[in-house]
Amino acid sequence: MNDLPKQKETNLSFEKIKKDILHPMQNHKGLELWIVFLITVISVCGWAYYIQLKDGLGVTGMRDYVSWGLYIANFVFFVAVSLVGMLISSILGLLRIDWITPISRIAEIIAVAFVAVAGLVIVLDMGRPDRVLNVMIHGRFQSPILWDVTVITTYLTVSALLLILPMIPDLAICKKELTKASPIMKKLYNILSLGYINTPAQHKHLHKMIRTLMVLIVPIGLAIHTVTSWLFAATLRNGWDTTIFGPYFVAGAFVAGSAALIIAMYFFRVNYKLQDYITDLQFDKMGKLLVAVCLVYLYFNLNEFLVPGYKMKTGDDIHLKELFYGNWAIMFWASQLLGNIIPIILLVNKKFRKPLPIMIISLFVLAGAWFKRYVIVIPTMLHPHLPIQNVPENFVHYYPSAIEISVTVLSFALVLLIITVLSKIFPVVPIVETAESKGIEVKIEA
Amino acid sequence: MKNTMKNIAALFLIFVFSGSVVNAQGWTVPASAKKKQNPYEATSKNISSGKKIYNIQCKSCHGDPTMANMLPLAPVAPTDLGAQNFLIQSDGEIFYKVNKGQGAMPAFEKTISDEDKWMVIAFLRSFDKNKKVKQQVAEVKNPEVTDVKLELNVNEADKTMLAKLSGVTKKGKRVGLQGIEMSFLVKRSFGYLDVSGEDPYTNESGDVQIQFPKDLPGDREGQVNMLVKVTDDAFYGNLEEKRVVTLGVPTDPVNPLDERAMWGTRANAPIWIIVTFVGGVLAIWSVIFLVLFQMIKLPKLAKSKD
Repeated sequence: MNDLPKQKETNLSFEKIKKDILHPMQNHKGLELWIVFLITVISVCGWAYYIQLKDGLGVTGMRDYVSWGLYIANFVFFVAVSLVGMLISSILGLLRIDWITPISRIAEIIAVAFVAVAGLVIVLDMGRPDRVLNVMIHGRFQSPILWDVTVITTYLTVSALLLILPMIPDLAICKKELTKASPIMKKLYNILSLGYINTPAQHKHLHKMIRTLMVLIVPIGLAIHTVTSWLFAATLRNGWDTTIFGPYFVAGAFVAGSAALIIAMYFFRVNYKLQDYITDLQFDKMGKLLVAVCLVYLYFNLNEFLVPGYKMKTGDDIHLKELFYGNWAIMFWASQLLGNIIPIILLVNKKFRKPLPIMIISLFVLAGAWFKRYVIVIPTMLHPHLPIQNVPENFVHYYPSAIEISVTVLSFALVLLIITVLSKIFPVVPIVETAESKGIEVKIEA
Repeated sequence: MKNTMKNIAALFLIFVFSGSVVNAQGWTVPASAKKKQNPYEATSKNISSGKKIYNIQCKSCHGDPTMANMLPLAPVAPTDLGAQNFLIQSDGEIFYKVNKGQGAMPAFEKTISDEDKWMVIAFLRSFDKNKKVKQQVAEVKNPEVTDVKLELNVNEADKTMLAKLSGVTKKGKRVGLQGIEMSFLVKRSFGYLDVSGEDPYTNESGDVQIQFPKDLPGDREGQVNMLVKVTDDAFYGNLEEKRVVTLGVPTDPVNPLDERAMWGTRANAPIWIIVTFVGGVLAIWSVIFLVLFQMIKLPKLAKSKD
């Protein structure tokens, strides 16, 4: 982005930026231990998945009533978090908002990791994962399932491209600077940097491609979460049968994604010692952004619950009473208050937008977002329209089994592992873009 | 205080229990309900349809009328509905009891239509010895026969069907069997349609002719599956004849899955949804491939401008 006006004076030089950002990629104590921990968690939970694969979905808590349980709630959550890539690097990037420069790559890494595992979560929810290709082979154009599979694949592809393309100049630097890297990594840097040496023609060509993808990902990003909401809203079930589900999910996704980004920013800032790049300014701005998207989400929540709650039409009334003061009240109000309303109240104060407080608040927002998905998926499934008699006891309640919880933990560990590996092999803060935005001259040798 | 509560509870239980015992013994019917008369005449047709309904709805518990082969339920076994001590009740009393039910007897107020209930009452009344105008179910006055045969003749031109029931007497002579009720049934999607008409009893030569409905849809060739049988198995056992006849109106079946609709198969998806989906996927992915193709150009640009 060399067409930006030169910014204020800085004591950073290009050499210092390179050194600061590349340093943690080579020397990082405790990283191996963290990766070993994640792989252990994945192996143990993988054994739980093996049991599910061997004995079938009967080992889960899902029965005839609740056939979409923890897995689908988790899937919706993952898709939601992944939408941050489109919000930060595309919408704000196209608006040329400059404070996102150091955090846009983290946003893309989160997007790629979460959407990749979101697709996998669907496979984990299948009794016969070997038949997954049948969705493509026999999928009906009328079914939101086919659209969902299509749009998730597309979003993953474009997100991966939006991670790699803006990184090409940095990879050219990695190729040159990371002399201690393993031969495989050197080869990877060599291939992915595509012979980039920052000539004006290359610069122009590259940014044209990036801008094309930034525009392209806006409709795909909106589609991915709107279609996910249609999986629910295209049915006649109470609680899902609403017209605002598409934008409601998109607004909720921005909340979850922004919170996840703030948490990731905090950990990279502390662990990678990037205080000079991911500054208090980024946290302050992200705090304001989080308040904004939370307010939008609150507005949608008011519409989603107040309007049906005012009418209390037959069918909806049972569902809403369960949420407002029934069995689901604690989870519902906790997700609304701790995950939305209280964070808004706190984050309008400047002192709560400092890195540590906002990170802690974001943890609550993210947890609230997860439970919100759980409250959206399961209570509705517990109220089928068919008046069936003599229903077995385990149909009318749903408690995730240990196997289900383990497989869900597996998906989280996998996301963290992907983020860890990506941030180990790629610079988490864009070197060239940061230098350019600070008006520092960039030199990339061939 | 506690004891008082207990006593009240005990009294209450006794009261409720004694009440139910009293109820089990007497089955009070309002005077107005008693006065009701069966609005349907005791014709052989009505009695016959009443018998059919009885066999479906009542027989499983009450058994055959006058045979006392009811289900042995405790503490109160179902009544033999052909017994005289039952039939001393008025039509209205029986009608009321069938409607309301009591104990193990279900309430049929909503499950059987009033007309059907009156038919059943007409059927039961045919066993009433005190009834002045007594019309029995068509009495069988046939000689003892063996080798009972059911022959079916179909006249496709005027859509009539002639069934002939005959048997061989001890003297070795084949005679027609008279006054036997026949059922002419057409197989439809969910069961059989009775097309027997008003008077499906065999005449003195063992014949019964029925007129097949002129507007009943058949398959593409107008074919329907006929089942002709002796209505009551009690006479000659299960005697039936199945045949495919070309008496229906030729009809092309309409399968809702054949049209393009949201509920259709993939091949029958609405055009607009296919165009939207395929168009969207093609548009987005062509841009993605365009960008991928542009990436190849990047290394070349390094050389050209350097």
